[in-house]
Amino acid sequence: MSEATEQNGKHFPEKQLWGREGFRDDPYIEAESLEVAGDAPAVILPLAAWLGLDDDVRRTSNRRIGVFVAPGESIDPLLDKLDTVPLIALQFPAFNDGRSYSKAEILKGRHGFKGELRAVGDVLVDQVVFMLRAGFDTLEVTNPVALKRLSASDLRDTPGYYQPGRGSAKTAGGFSWRRTPAA
Amino acid sequence: MYRYDEFDHAFVAARVEQFKDQVERRLSGELTEDQFKPLRLMNGVYLQLHAYMLRVAVPYGTLSGRQMRKLGHIARTYDRGYGHFTTRQNIQYNWPALADIPKILDELAEVEMHAMQTSGNCIRNVTADHFSGVAADEVADPRPFAEILRQWSSLHPEFSYLPRKFKIAVTGAEHDRAAIQTHDIGLHLKKNEAGELGFAVYVGGGQGRTPMVAKKIRDFLPAEDLLSYTTAIVRVYNLHGRRDNKYKARIKILVHETGVEELTRQIEAEWQALKESDLKLPQGDIDAIMTYFRPPVLPERPEGWGALAAAKKADAGFAAWVDQNVTPHKNPDYGVVTISLKPIGGIPGDASAEQMELVADIAEKYSQDEIRVSHEQNLVLPHVALADLHAVYELLLADGLATANAGLITDIIACPGLDYCALANARSIPVAQRISERFGAAERQAEIGELKIKISGCINACGHHHVGHIGILGVEKKGEELYQITLGGSADEITTVGEITGRGFSSEEVVDAIEKIVDTYLGLRTSKEENFLAAYRRVGAAPFKEALYGPVSRAA
Ligand code: HEM
Ligand code: SF4
Repeated sequence: MSEATEQNGKHFPEKQLWGREGFRDDPYIEAESLEVAGDAPAVILPLAAWLGLDDDVRRTSNRRIGVFVAPGESIDPLLDKLDTVPLIALQFPAFNDGRSYSKAEILKGRHGFKGELRAVGDVLVDQVVFMLRAGFDTLEVTNPVALKRLSASDLRDTPGYYQPGRGSAKTAGGFSWRRTPAA
Repeated sequence: MYRYDEFDHAFVAARVEQFKDQVERRLSGELTEDQFKPLRLMNGVYLQLHAYMLRVAVPYGTLSGRQMRKLGHIARTYDRGYGHFTTRQNIQYNWPALADIPKILDELAEVEMHAMQTSGNCIRNVTADHFSGVAADEVADPRPFAEILRQWSSLHPEFSYLPRKFKIAVTGAEHDRAAIQTHDIGLHLKKNEAGELGFAVYVGGGQGRTPMVAKKIRDFLPAEDLLSYTTAIVRVYNLHGRRDNKYKARIKILVHETGVEELTRQIEAEWQALKESDLKLPQGDIDAIMTYFRPPVLPERPEGWGALAAAKKADAGFAAWVDQNVTPHKNPDYGVVTISLKPIGGIPGDASAEQMELVADIAEKYSQDEIRVSHEQNLVLPHVALADLHAVYELLLADGLATANAGLITDIIACPGLDYCALANARSIPVAQRISERFGAAERQAEIGELKIKISGCINACGHHHVGHIGILGVEKKGEELYQITLGGSADEITTVGEITGRGFSSEEVVDAIEKIVDTYLGLRTSKEENFLAAYRRVGAAPFKEALYGPVSRAA
């Protein structure tokens, strides 16, 4: 704890938002409900609170209301409302809890979710490529090594992949399951 | 055999670089052991009792001479001169230095090998029938599909952090030599009435502390749907498999708790959405992979028939070895040779650097440059001309590799146990050695006939004891090492989990107990043709329990 904070204090702010193009500002705040969110322009609510909102409130609110989903929670109730969700934050309580990868695939791959898909929690550098390929747009990063590597754009990617996935393209004449990074 | 193309080479090289970087970060202290653990596990590196251990993948157990020679070189250069072939058709090195592991991986990459996904909660090295492509009873060679699965599962973004490890096995014959029903997914390659290839799909087999036989969830899955259907299964498992208790995290528990009908429904629903996706296999790709596994063109060698008969007549040791260790090849001029890694009194599965090099030489000269590793911890030369058998035998004999015991009582599977393994309750290897010595006489083994003994040093069941005709499990009771015996297990097309006989035996008693069981069998079999398993299935446990525990046994 103290070591991390010290490192963070010296070099990095506590939490940073990163996407394929680099670090970016995060307009969102996390809140238990809209009431406690004050007048923040963008809010992430827990799944139950989000689902509890009136459809009209979601559609007509002048702020963006995203939703946080823990790995044990089902995304099924969101599926017919995806056009009203600007952001879905899928949690990795520990890096080796892989459930959110499958949800990312289902949301982006199958349902064509157009909003921001964000990975939050135990985001480490060694999983960044998996997350991007599964469909995450942004990663919320606190781990100092991850922050350092991401600032240096050092992802240790492979030159090709053996599965379809986002950010990659089929190569002419290659086996159907193979991909190379998109230019 | 499959050969890497540029894509594979570049991928493996990048992966070695990644791991080099991770090892450096560990050695410099940037990564703690806790942080390093998941990364090393993805690369086959375990931390064991005495040292790090490296497990190298031998995909579906197929090797060339050059690859085997490299394994020998690694054993000599970076380990103590030997390696250990495992029940998952891999090889394990027990003593490499962590700082050397990146170099070892570089050397492996030179011969198109790696250690990816031989550990960790990912899809592990896909295993296949060790007689694939040569067995006379085979419908089609399952290895092209194992290779497709190997590629597809490599660093799979969605499936690298599953609830638990995930094992897939494939067979292409009715007689199952790949133990598919003890795997998370078992695939039985077959043809439908129209002559098209497809799979019977089994899900939820496993050993460990809750052994379960896999359930068939599909009788015929067209080959083109292999990846989409597998994705559906693994996705349902990834989302719903238990993560609260690692002993309940395998898919077998999900099958058990959800019920096979409901789980099949979920898998089929997922599959409907994936079926027409990019995962559908074009016939052209299947064909292209199959070309790599085209059977070698074997010259006619009819002179072998006569030569073999003459050599057998002249050399009784050779005759015994041929009868026990050579099985029919699709081509009648050829045989499939099992090289036993179970010398009497030896360590099951161990091979020295010199032995590996010898096998490499023999394979190049006499077996179309092909070697297999069997899940029974033996090696196989798949294409030996009958005319060359005697020459091959003499070479093997000179290096202690001609033990004529394939499938017999001394062909024992044993896990590393307390000699290497941090999780062990008891030793496995020394028990295997003592049983082997007790029953080692050639006539005695031949008299007993087919009998599979499998030994695990703890309930994780790495030695497959649940499916041994006789299984031996190391347990700990009040600080003492005890051995529990199970009978009647089997891992072939009729897979069964063995039944516990009763209280365990001490290390001193256990070999005597095995002998009592064997003698009981010999006394009650209807003829020599009724092997141990068949006899056990006929009479049940009672006579064996009585022999072990006396007439007033707990069986009553
Ligand atoms: C020496 C270090 C080893 C350790 C720490 C180890 C650990 C384990 C553990 C914890 C399990 C149970 C997994 C579960 O049920 O979820 C297991 C299963 C297994 N291990 Fe090992 N193992 C070791 C060596 C080996 C070796 C050398 C082999 C091959 C000979 C092997 C083959 C297997 C197999 C086939 C299973 C499967 C049982 C199943 O399907 O549940 N293991 N191992
Ligand atoms: S069965 Fe137990 S003792 Fe044997 S290798 Fe596996 S974990 Fe170790």
